[in-house]
Amino acid sequence: MAEENKNSNTDENSKLIGLVAQFDDPESLVQACDQARQAGYTKTDAFSPFPVHGIDPALGIKRTILPFIVLGIAVGAVFIGLGMQWYTNGGSLGEFSTDESPVFPGYRFKISGKPYFSLPANIPVTFEVIVLSSAFATFFGMWFLNKLPMLSNPLHRISRFKRATNDKFFLMIEQADEQFDRGSTEAQLNEWGAVSIDECRKDLTDHNLPSWLRLVALMGAILLLLPPVAIFRAMGMTSRAPRLHVVPDMDWQDKSKTQTLSPIMMNDRYLFADERAMRAPVDGSIARGQLDADTELYQGIKSDYVPTVSLTTPQGAVRTGLGTQDEAEATPPVEDVSMYVTEFPKEITVDEALLQRGQVRFNIYCAACHGYAANGDGLVNQRAVALAATGKAQWTSAKSLHDATVSDAAKNPLGRIFETISNGRGTMGPYGAQIPTADRWAIVAYVKALQETGIKPVLAVSDDEDGDDAEANDTTEAATTPEDKTQPTP
Amino acid sequence: MATVNPILDNTYDDAGERSPLILGGLDYAGVTDEVCGIWEADKPPKIWFVVLGAAISLLMVLGGCVGHLLMDGVGVWGNNNPAYWGWPIVNFVFWVGIGHAGTLISAILFLFRQNWRTSINRAAEAMTIFAVVCAGLFPGVHIGRVWVFYWLFPIPTEHLAMWPNFRSPLLWDVFAVSTYATVSILFWYMGMVPDIATFRDRCTSKIGKFVYGLLSLGWTGSARAWHRYEIAYTILAALATPLVLSVHTIVSFDFAVSQVPGWHTTIFPPYFVAGAIFSGFAMVVTLLVPVRKLYGLENLITIRHLENMNKIIMATGMMVGTAYGIEFFIAWYSGVPYESYAFYNRAFGNYWWAYWIMVSCNVLIPQVFWIKWCRTTPWFMVIICVFVNIGMWFERFVITITSLCRDFVPSSWAYFHPTWVDIMMLIGSFGLFFTLFTLFCRYLPVIAMAEVKGVMPRPEDH
Repeated sequence: MAEENKNSNTDENSKLIGLVAQFDDPESLVQACDQARQAGYTKTDAFSPFPVHGIDPALGIKRTILPFIVLGIAVGAVFIGLGMQWYTNGGSLGEFSTDESPVFPGYRFKISGKPYFSLPANIPVTFEVIVLSSAFATFFGMWFLNKLPMLSNPLHRISRFKRATNDKFFLMIEQADEQFDRGSTEAQLNEWGAVSIDECRKDLTDHNLPSWLRLVALMGAILLLLPPVAIFRAMGMTSRAPRLHVVPDMDWQDKSKTQTLSPIMMNDRYLFADERAMRAPVDGSIARGQLDADTELYQGIKSDYVPTVSLTTPQGAVRTGLGTQDEAEATPPVEDVSMYVTEFPKEITVDEALLQRGQVRFNIYCAACHGYAANGDGLVNQRAVALAATGKAQWTSAKSLHDATVSDAAKNPLGRIFETISNGRGTMGPYGAQIPTADRWAIVAYVKALQETGIKPVLAVSDDEDGDDAEANDTTEAATTPEDKTQPTP
Repeated sequence: MATVNPILDNTYDDAGERSPLILGGLDYAGVTDEVCGIWEADKPPKIWFVVLGAAISLLMVLGGCVGHLLMDGVGVWGNNNPAYWGWPIVNFVFWVGIGHAGTLISAILFLFRQNWRTSINRAAEAMTIFAVVCAGLFPGVHIGRVWVFYWLFPIPTEHLAMWPNFRSPLLWDVFAVSTYATVSILFWYMGMVPDIATFRDRCTSKIGKFVYGLLSLGWTGSARAWHRYEIAYTILAALATPLVLSVHTIVSFDFAVSQVPGWHTTIFPPYFVAGAIFSGFAMVVTLLVPVRKLYGLENLITIRHLENMNKIIMATGMMVGTAYGIEFFIAWYSGVPYESYAFYNRAFGNYWWAYWIMVSCNVLIPQVFWIKWCRTTPWFMVIICVFVNIGMWFERFVITITSLCRDFVPSSWAYFHPTWVDIMMLIGSFGLFFTLFTLFCRYLPVIAMAEVKGVMPRPEDH
């Protein structure tokens, strides 16, 4: 029994919460609960070391709504799980795709041509999201409904109550109950078989937290927010200083890049005398596959040709890079056409296969400017001529390969066509680096075939483009001289 | 109060009476005293210090290996063309498999009202969590740059400007294993709260009162709280049951969704789950037999409990054996030469020794449990269970390594050689596991007291 103040529910030191009666076995607890409910008590609770079956109806405990909370969360998780995958992997809705989203856009993984969003592949993650959300809802929902954690409870002040988690059973009738009366309730509890009865009193002398502590805690919490805010701000801003690299990954490596100073230093001197990272091949060495001593095959120049004039070759002109056109106009090169081969080199066999190969390569590399029929009406040329007419671009028209200066075998022998493709001419760029030697000869053969068959090879032009071709021909004729520059209109 | 029952052998079934799950005539207070006695003892037994010391030494080896790995990169492992998945994945699947028994005992046996689970579920759940910790370590360090591990999760970041690929089984694995670890911890902790409250109410030291007071969340054992608690426990069990099946299913997808011969089979999910339960139960027996002996828990973890577990081990062992057979049948029946070769190579190729270790340990050795003496003799069953765990490690080794080392193109065939880091990390992971488990035995309730009391016979039952 409580030692002090049996008859008053509240004094200055403590407040009566209720009476706690102890029972020795679960059956007598259930009976006592039943009798308490029949006696009209509603604010009651029982305490036991394990769940006692049959106590819920005895105490009149209503079934918890926890399962419905979990169900609600689980249904929501279906949409969150699917929506997350749909959004992040660039799902689309009509015209809209999440990879175009301005912030945190989705990311489209194209894998084996599969759709970006396909339900079967998204089931495992959706399932795990449902289970995880539901488990959290169950766990936290249960504690929330039980009003736990409760770190201070007057019940724990009763020494006998410590056995509630061991082997004893308790029934508490709260003082707040309408039926509660200090004396008669105790008598009833004794009548129902209580082994002992304790008062549960709330200690009113508990020290409260000092009021300034809350303010300090609040300020501390705000101050703790500053570092992350500063970090996020720095991440979103431009900076002249290099960023702080916490983990450098592979950003700095001891390796040499092409065309740089050698990073390897010994005694403050560069390892190599020329200070370069790259090593030049030994003089006179030739890389595998780059032996091009056969001038007929690789340059289109007769093997027995001996230059008689100083070498102002077209190669030299092109290799000076930009501005070639002007230089060429200023000092027209003295060109010895006789140096070029007039027959295909012996390694190249001209047959139908070579011509077909030449057509394919021509259509890839040449037709863009010169046109599929080689009459100088390629799409790039048409567009550039149109732009040049409005003054938006400078452009030298691509030449028609049916032009007399090109098709005349005396002025433009095979070797010279090959040389043109390899090294460029005028404003045309060199294609030697892109097109292998044999393919360049194939193109030469195809160009000669085009020139032989006239302006419209049957293979390359379909019927419905006749009208366009007529226009294209006009354009070609308008561009009279090959070196003519279409001047922008003022 | 519970009747004093003189029976000491509760392994015989009598149709007229339920076999008692608790022996020694223990009442409610008796159960509390036995379980709390472990933790209330001034000093744990000497052997506890020996085990903890050994485990911590191995843990330090593991830490050293992980440090070496992080500094030097994953090249310190034996993983190399063509076996890019070497021991780390073998160890991962091995530990994840062991981590299945706890939830199975807690959730599935709970839903089936198997009351004998109450004596073993706490330790099994703890074992589950520690095994999942060991399992998570291996893919965790396998990703190479562990400091950007968060790229595994769909976290919005302008820095990476990329999201995970949700159609990859490896990402499913991230979700499955992390969900499983989280739910297992919730389930374990929730089940432990009433028992931690018991510790709190019996604790005399100030630190203990504070720590256990905090962990028990103010639990009083109120009937209203128990009502919600029991429903929550049932819901968690109902959630954990499909979860535990999904986890190893998804782990098996890591293999089955690929095209490699020997991996690309639909039998993998059920076969992996059966194997997981098999290895998990073997680990529970391996751990509980010494624990019950050491702490004198023979009245709570009775021979009947151990016998039931051995029966499950034998049943799942035969499921696994059936799966081994079916794999061969399908390889032949499919008519795919690569599949046929993959399985022929497993049994008779250059990894024949691993295959036959696996078959002997997993299929043949557990057959001794047909004999009652074998499944009711503690020291003997531990030996069998150790063999089972060796066999299950080799199962994962055989699946991972033999298939990778003999894929479609003979030019990429090779023989896998582990490095010392591989070997020390496997051994070290046992250090991590046993460190956690020995600490658990000392500081947390090893047996679910509240649950055991709930299934104890009452006076009116007699």
